[in-house]
Amino acid sequence: MKAEPLVYGDRKVYTVSAFNRGVASWIARLPTLWVEGEVTELRRQPGWQTVFFTLKDPAGDSSLPVTMPRAGFDALRLELADGALVHVYGRPELWEQRGTFQLRALTIEPVGIGDALLRLERLKRALAAEGLFAPERKRPLPFLPRLIGLVTGSDAAARHDVIATIQGRYPPARILVAETLVQGPRAPASIARALERVCEAGVDVIVLARGGGSFDDLLPFSDERLVRAVAACPVPVVSAVGHEQDVPLCDLAADVRASTPTAAGRLVVPDWAELTDTLAALRARVAAAARRRADRALRDLEQDRIRLARAPALLLERKRSALEADRERLRRAPALLLERSRARLDSVEGRLRALSPAATLQRGYAIVRREGEIVRAAAALAPGDRVAVELGAGGFGARVEEVSP
Amino acid sequence: MTNEPTFEEARAELERIVAKLESGDAGLEEALDLWERGEALYHLCVSKLDKAQGRVEELAAAGGASEQEPPTDSQP
Repeated sequence: MKAEPLVYGDRKVYTVSAFNRGVASWIARLPTLWVEGEVTELRRQPGWQTVFFTLKDPAGDSSLPVTMPRAGFDALRLELADGALVHVYGRPELWEQRGTFQLRALTIEPVGIGDALLRLERLKRALAAEGLFAPERKRPLPFLPRLIGLVTGSDAAARHDVIATIQGRYPPARILVAETLVQGPRAPASIARALERVCEAGVDVIVLARGGGSFDDLLPFSDERLVRAVAACPVPVVSAVGHEQDVPLCDLAADVRASTPTAAGRLVVPDWAELTDTLAALRARVAAAARRRADRALRDLEQDRIRLARAPALLLERKRSALEADRERLRRAPALLLERSRARLDSVEGRLRALSPAATLQRGYAIVRREGEIVRAAAALAPGDRVAVELGAGGFGARVEEVSP
Repeated sequence: MTNEPTFEEARAELERIVAKLESGDAGLEEALDLWERGEALYHLCVSKLDKAQGRVEELAAAGGASEQEPPTDSQP
């Protein structure tokens, strides 16, 4: 099937049909393969020989038109709800008449539990790698929420458990309930929208609650769109979905995971009675401490008054004893003076004794006098001179025999 | 304080006042001021607990084609 161009001078031009045919034959050489996506816009009109639908990425904007011969489609006996996740085995083709690209399906398989588990695991790893479940992303819950958002299905149990727990613990709590689909292919978008809407209404914490269910029932809570919506929620989210053992991905993206709706209710509000008791106790302690301080001030004041009253007598007593001491010193003064004088006299006497020649004479020296004058040099004497010699005890007269100069 | 404190801020301040008073470090006038402030904080906290009227409201379903289906837990 070769597309022959028309020739205008040096320009080759194709007709639309030739162009489409050429592209179609090129595309027809692509292999047959599996494509995964959600079924939307399914059209299966009576009388049509072909069934049409659009396959979409669950979290993306990409879509792909799919066609399948009516007989083949009906033979599969599929109950394809809008949004159902399927694997389509087919061949890419170009519909020549319209120039539109599409996938021509040979068979369609709904994604089963095994596949869903694999998908879930893959998604979990991808979102974890992106950091969506990181502990540092978790925000603390407000201590005293002004308005609590409750996003839940119409199932009475989960809803009732959350509301009853909150009201039991904290009667003034205000709760804004947004009911959503919690099951089926449209649930993720519905829940994400409910999250947005309670945020817009001004809640400062959200409880996302869903009672237990089968693996399939809880699948919407692992949907990528919903997990991202929970992670991106501007206020903290408490996730209470399924039972203790169920861990849908939205639990991992939420700020706090509660094991049950009742536990979630306990997490979002403080215990009112406990709170008022604590406050009253604090108030009593403030009052008691302030009273003790005042009592202490009174006691201090009383002490001061007593000391003040005692002060004059104390002063008089001090003056009297000072006076007494003075008097005592005065009394002892003459004797002290006498003693000091005697001590001084003794010391003078000693010094006097040291200076007297008598002491020197006592040690064996002698004083020689000639005609009453003390002789200090031998040259002052001549042989035959009479001298008087004074010793330590007594003296004698003598005549000079010889002089040594 | 320009803005009214939040419940948590008020309670934290009340606890600081208790600690300060119970340490016995405060002077008499300071102690009386603290007591007055403590009373004010207590009443503020209590008023915050009592102020909100407890109630449950339903968020009306938003319009639009996607909301036409009534919310339900059971798929056919």
